[in-house]
Amino acid sequence: MSNQTNESPSGKSSLLGWFDERYPVSSTWNKHVGEYYAPKNFNFWYFFGSLALIVLVNQIVTGIWLTMSYQPSGELAFSSVEYIMRDVEWGWLLRYLHSTGASAFFIVIYLHMMRALLYGSYKKPRELVWIIGMLLFLVLMAEAFMGYLLPWGQMSFWGAQVIISLFGAIPVIGPDLALWIRGDFVISEVTLNRFFALHVIALPLVLVILVFMHLVALHHVGSNNPDGVEIKKLKDNNGIPLDGIRFHPYYSVKDAMGAVFFFILFALVLFYAPEGGGYFIEAPNFEPANPLKTPDHIVPVWYFTPFYAILRAIPDKFLGVVAMGAAVVILFAMPWLDRCKVKSIRYRGNSYKVLLTILVISFFVLGFLGTQPSTPLYTKLAQIFTALYFMFFLVLPFTSANEKTKPVPERVT
Amino acid sequence: MKKILWIASLLLLPFTMNVQAAGGYSIELESAENNIRDQESLKRGAVLFSNYCMACHSLKYMRYNRVARDLGWTDDEVISEMAHGLNTVTEHVMTRMEDGVARAVLGSDAPDLSLMARLKGDDYIYTFLRAYHQNEQGEWDNKALKGTAMPNVLEGFQRHASPEEYEEAARDITNFLAYAGEPSKVQRLDLGWKVVAFLLVLLLLLYLLKREYWRDIKH
Repeated sequence: MSNQTNESPSGKSSLLGWFDERYPVSSTWNKHVGEYYAPKNFNFWYFFGSLALIVLVNQIVTGIWLTMSYQPSGELAFSSVEYIMRDVEWGWLLRYLHSTGASAFFIVIYLHMMRALLYGSYKKPRELVWIIGMLLFLVLMAEAFMGYLLPWGQMSFWGAQVIISLFGAIPVIGPDLALWIRGDFVISEVTLNRFFALHVIALPLVLVILVFMHLVALHHVGSNNPDGVEIKKLKDNNGIPLDGIRFHPYYSVKDAMGAVFFFILFALVLFYAPEGGGYFIEAPNFEPANPLKTPDHIVPVWYFTPFYAILRAIPDKFLGVVAMGAAVVILFAMPWLDRCKVKSIRYRGNSYKVLLTILVISFFVLGFLGTQPSTPLYTKLAQIFTALYFMFFLVLPFTSANEKTKPVPERVT
Repeated sequence: MKKILWIASLLLLPFTMNVQAAGGYSIELESAENNIRDQESLKRGAVLFSNYCMACHSLKYMRYNRVARDLGWTDDEVISEMAHGLNTVTEHVMTRMEDGVARAVLGSDAPDLSLMARLKGDDYIYTFLRAYHQNEQGEWDNKALKGTAMPNVLEGFQRHASPEEYEEAARDITNFLAYAGEPSKVQRLDLGWKVVAFLLVLLLLLYLLKREYWRDIKH
């Protein structure tokens, strides 16, 4: 398949030649796929980039079809979702693909980010790949948050009420800002309408543009790998990296295999546990939004709970909001906080290994605590693990500057 | 590969825990052991629902013809069994009570029950139906939802039924409401393993294809 497109525009490819003279078909294909040389030693962690793209496509496609039957009004939103679940042909499948896809998106993205932390993929020259990726993560969180309001269930309503009211904690401009976001004094149909607009048009558009930029930046600097070796340093006589292989067919076929493995896990959840044990679709959301009745226990969806736990851990509301924001924003600085020249954890010192383990444990514990009602013990735990979470970023610049690293090999292993 | 399976199983871990079950109910819930594939039970449950519940409660997201199709009734049958011949099959299953009457008479609106099974769980409904009891003053109350505005509508049925018959009736109603919560559930469960089986075959083929291509790569 790929070989034909690599040839000069003649013979069989004359149609392609016609296009190539007018549009960079072959050169674009070659730059990003056919002759994009990726390190040959990608492991398990390198599946999640292509998986994220696949989940994005799933969300966009199922989202388009859901939009055909969904009604973004306070009166009809909830019942239109039930209409989709019951009366629309295959509507239940579309809805579960979309709701399960939202959680799958975060699982994939968190693992994708973990990969970068393991192998130092945010380091020079990939700082912009990382920063664009972090912007993607921010926009994805906004996208998911707004999408969760649309079913207009109790948890949709009260979750949004709690999160938007956080903006009200900002001094001076807070109350007006919260009012401006909601467009009303409480969450109302006005809020629902604007969240719908942002969820189906504005933010997906931004996501797609950022994904494009993320890939352009990546393909410009080249992929990192589990050894953290720059494969572009050693090239053969034709200028091809010695440890590089063409993305297509080698990684296209490998990623396809990974994608199908992922589809199997995805299908098991989709068909046999679409509520995700109450984490993907929370039970109170099967009751229509009721501004007069607060649920006993308001919990955000699982992918926000680590940050929600940080918010609740801080006694002062405004400082809690600041800490929650900082927990995300501080990740942007990773390329500069980490001063170790060695990229991959395989050759890094124990200090980084210990710090990263603490970060991951803190993230999981905070994630759990965020789903629980606050008790004195849980609040204490949340404070300890919030401190540990931030400790990673505060200690890293000092430990990483003189880390005892192992020698990095010339070539990938 | 071992690592992949380990991470995969870790990702599925949350599904083995059920946060829904952790509700603060005043009594321990009994297991309904209902079966949404049991059409006879669903039919009995639908008729009981029509006779005892629909005076106040609706299933406003459910249409009669959908009930008929899923339970194995004809359109005429569902209307005679559930609606005394009074409705058309494309209508939603609405209560026979006018708006506001429940609030005026009982002090509370009777909730729509379309999604009650998904909101509270099958076991809750089953337990609730079996938890009515008379206190010393002879007033009815419910152990699962103390002070509920809902009268013990099944009292008459219960008086003429054996405990086993009543248990079965409670299970049938629960089953019907479980079905009404997600009418596509049986279709979902039946489709799932076929999709997974197809994907497993596809995975094998892609694994072989990948191995074939990767023969060229020297490590």
